[in-house]
Amino acid sequence: MKVPAIFPGAAWRAFLFGLLVLSPAVNAATNDDLFAKANTEFNAGNFKAAITDYGAVVQSGEWSANLFYNLGNAYFRDSDFGRAILNYERALQLDRNHPEADANLRIARDQTHALELAPTPLEKYLNFAGAKSFAILAAILFWGTIILLILRRRKVLWMTIGLLLTASCGLAAYKLESGTRGQDVAIVVEGNVEARVATADSAKSVLALPPGSEVVILQERGDWSYAALPNDLRGWISTKAVEKVRL
Amino acid sequence: MFRRILLLGFLTTAACEIGLADPPRITAVLTSSEVVVGETVQLEIQIDNTRASAITPRAIDVPGLQIHYTGESTQMTMRNLSVSSSITYSYTILPEKSGTFKIPSQTIRVGKDNLQTPELTLRVGDSPRATAGGRGNRTPSGSAPAGSGQNADEKIAFAELLVPKKSAYVGEIIPVVLRIGFKSRTQLRELAVPQINGQGYTVQKLSEGEKNLETIDGQSYVVFTYKTAISAARPGDFQIGPVEEKANVLVTRRSPGVRRRPFDPFNGEDPFSDPFFSMPFAGLMEQHEINIKSDPVPLEVKPLPAGAPASFSGAIGSFTMTAEANPKRVQVGDPITIKAAIAGRGNFDRMNAPELSDERGWHKYPPSSNFKQDDDVGISGTKSFELVVSPNEKLATIPPLVFSYFDPAKDRYITLQSDAMPITVEGNAQSAPSVAGAATGAAAASNLAGGQKPQDILHQISEPGNIVDTFAPLYARPGFWLAQLFPLTLVLGLLGWKVRNVRASNRAALRAARLQHEKDELLRKLRRNRLAPRDYFSDASRVVQLKTALKENNIEPATVDAETAARVFSLDPEQSERMRRLFAKSDELRYSGGGSGDGALTSNGRREALELIESLS
Repeated sequence: MKVPAIFPGAAWRAFLFGLLVLSPAVNAATNDDLFAKANTEFNAGNFKAAITDYGAVVQSGEWSANLFYNLGNAYFRDSDFGRAILNYERALQLDRNHPEADANLRIARDQTHALELAPTPLEKYLNFAGAKSFAILAAILFWGTIILLILRRRKVLWMTIGLLLTASCGLAAYKLESGTRGQDVAIVVEGNVEARVATADSAKSVLALPPGSEVVILQERGDWSYAALPNDLRGWISTKAVEKVRL
Repeated sequence: MFRRILLLGFLTTAACEIGLADPPRITAVLTSSEVVVGETVQLEIQIDNTRASAITPRAIDVPGLQIHYTGESTQMTMRNLSVSSSITYSYTILPEKSGTFKIPSQTIRVGKDNLQTPELTLRVGDSPRATAGGRGNRTPSGSAPAGSGQNADEKIAFAELLVPKKSAYVGEIIPVVLRIGFKSRTQLRELAVPQINGQGYTVQKLSEGEKNLETIDGQSYVVFTYKTAISAARPGDFQIGPVEEKANVLVTRRSPGVRRRPFDPFNGEDPFSDPFFSMPFAGLMEQHEINIKSDPVPLEVKPLPAGAPASFSGAIGSFTMTAEANPKRVQVGDPITIKAAIAGRGNFDRMNAPELSDERGWHKYPPSSNFKQDDDVGISGTKSFELVVSPNEKLATIPPLVFSYFDPAKDRYITLQSDAMPITVEGNAQSAPSVAGAATGAAAASNLAGGQKPQDILHQISEPGNIVDTFAPLYARPGFWLAQLFPLTLVLGLLGWKVRNVRASNRAALRAARLQHEKDELLRKLRRNRLAPRDYFSDASRVVQLKTALKENNIEPATVDAETAARVFSLDPEQSERMRRLFAKSDELRYSGGGSGDGALTSNGRREALELIESLS
């Protein structure tokens, strides 16, 4: 490959080195600047500009609970309550103990009368910890069981107890991941959205979904998504009317 | 096959229906019982329940009336597999003079039956145009409503708006009836659905027109009645209507430009100048488009009085409310459906769901509604609401539902309140989010704990916080599985250590077994007392070495001397001395070259040596 004349020899290598070593740091600095700029725009009342700047940080792939929380606030101030709720949910996905996001999420839901998915009894029971905690606990229990098997004599008893606990924690993590707070949860971001019994605008309506309502996407077919709805209903909704919480 | 059976059944049923049909019945009607000279009226003789042709008179002789047969029509209807047919014979009657005429009963032969028509009376008035000096160019047109002062005879159509109230409140729903009538002798070809237009109020969709034959001011009219309702959007003085409508009608053909003859006995009203007589089969009617217009109706719209209750959402009318909740026993956070029904008369379209009188401790979801109307335009009916609420804490009752409306008849606001609905809520109260740190966060938390809706969102956060690059679940991230390498390494290390220990322990066991075996063999030799002194003391010292090595695993037998054995077995000084002598004798006999040493070993010496060896443990 012929090196361009503007980067001859050592200069070219230095440029590559800079790209590899320095670009993450430069990128982080840029995102920090953008984040601060977005905060300034928000405080000045320029909510659309703040949304744009927060959105640019989101596009860079460097996410944080605070970033989505601030973005949710900007959407809230811009009266886009559906996307405000979406971003509060994202903040809570990254940090389930984010009190500000939790409080603002409740306010936004009250504004739109958004419908929430009712957690299953098992999810209610497991709600004291997240899927992440259960996954870590399952790993600890697994390796602890193996180590005890190596060190202790009563192998069958320890193996049975340890593996049962490991499987329980793994199942709990899976249930939480596939449930009403899992990876397929989506939020209605458009207005006047109705779930229908078939993939047609003229099909009979199943449920009107205010902005910010929660659904679980079960299947996608073209412009329509089959979703689990609040009140234990199922229906087809326009794919463009919802956004998944997890990016 | 099934179709054939079905067809056969149908034909059989039809044949039975015809065979068992009712006997023929005859009726005779005039399309109008009053007419003026020069205008025609239709006589229709209808024979029901007959399939045979009837023999009817071609002309009916009544002095003063020209009655001519104009044709017949047959109609067959089938209702619930019952087939019936009717034949209508039409006659056109042209009065020649005013007066009251009796059309006598006619005998019509239908098959083997002779049927009698009833006697009919036709009143014929003088033609007003005859006195006005000519028939003129009468153009069918719409006119004012009945009673508006115009001569009813001039009208071939009219439209009128009936509004029961002259004043109303903003938002109040007012029923309106629109009536459009056509003289019965005209034939209506086309009438579009009428529209009520105006400013300042909304009009609901008109009901389907109801068709009736009415006599107004002695004239027979076919009247179409439409019902609707209006609702004023703002206060002020408004006019409802006028309603303007175009219709296509068929009216009796007139020959234009009829010249009055000098000796015209009918004074220009010669009935035989009608084209009916010159062209009897060329059509008696001609089509005209007419405009029909009603008078506007004034309406005064007043604003709603001040002092509306907080739960008033715009409902105006008169209503009652019922409510019930299910299930009665729930957990905290579980949904409860409250079914409320508001029945009565009023503007249901502006009616919102009733509200909880006290929302503290409850989470509400958007209500759904369904309206079942009891009339054509939806003024009266029942609107059912389903409210889903969930308790945030243990509560004993669902607070009463409240619903407020304005009653225009009583000129005041009325608030309906249901009874409190007892329930049982189990479980712990849902915790409000605890917002630590910032003052705004603490304020929000206290608001939430108090059950009040916070009015504003919390502040922005200036720090981005911990950066992540994925929402993937922990177990789907490579880092999670890479982290498993650490415990895996530990486990592998533990396994290696365990194997090494096992192997080492196996080696020690083999060594001990070997030493034990050698020791046992040598002891047996010593006990036999057949060995030479040199071999005896050599074996005895070897047994001591083996016993010492068996007791101390890390000692090699060959390295054991008397001192080592005394230390290992903690021998007393006397035994230690004997041990030293044993090892010394053994060394002496092995290394001094003094033969086998037969003379050096007595039986006592053997016994003492054996006792010393066996005492070692």
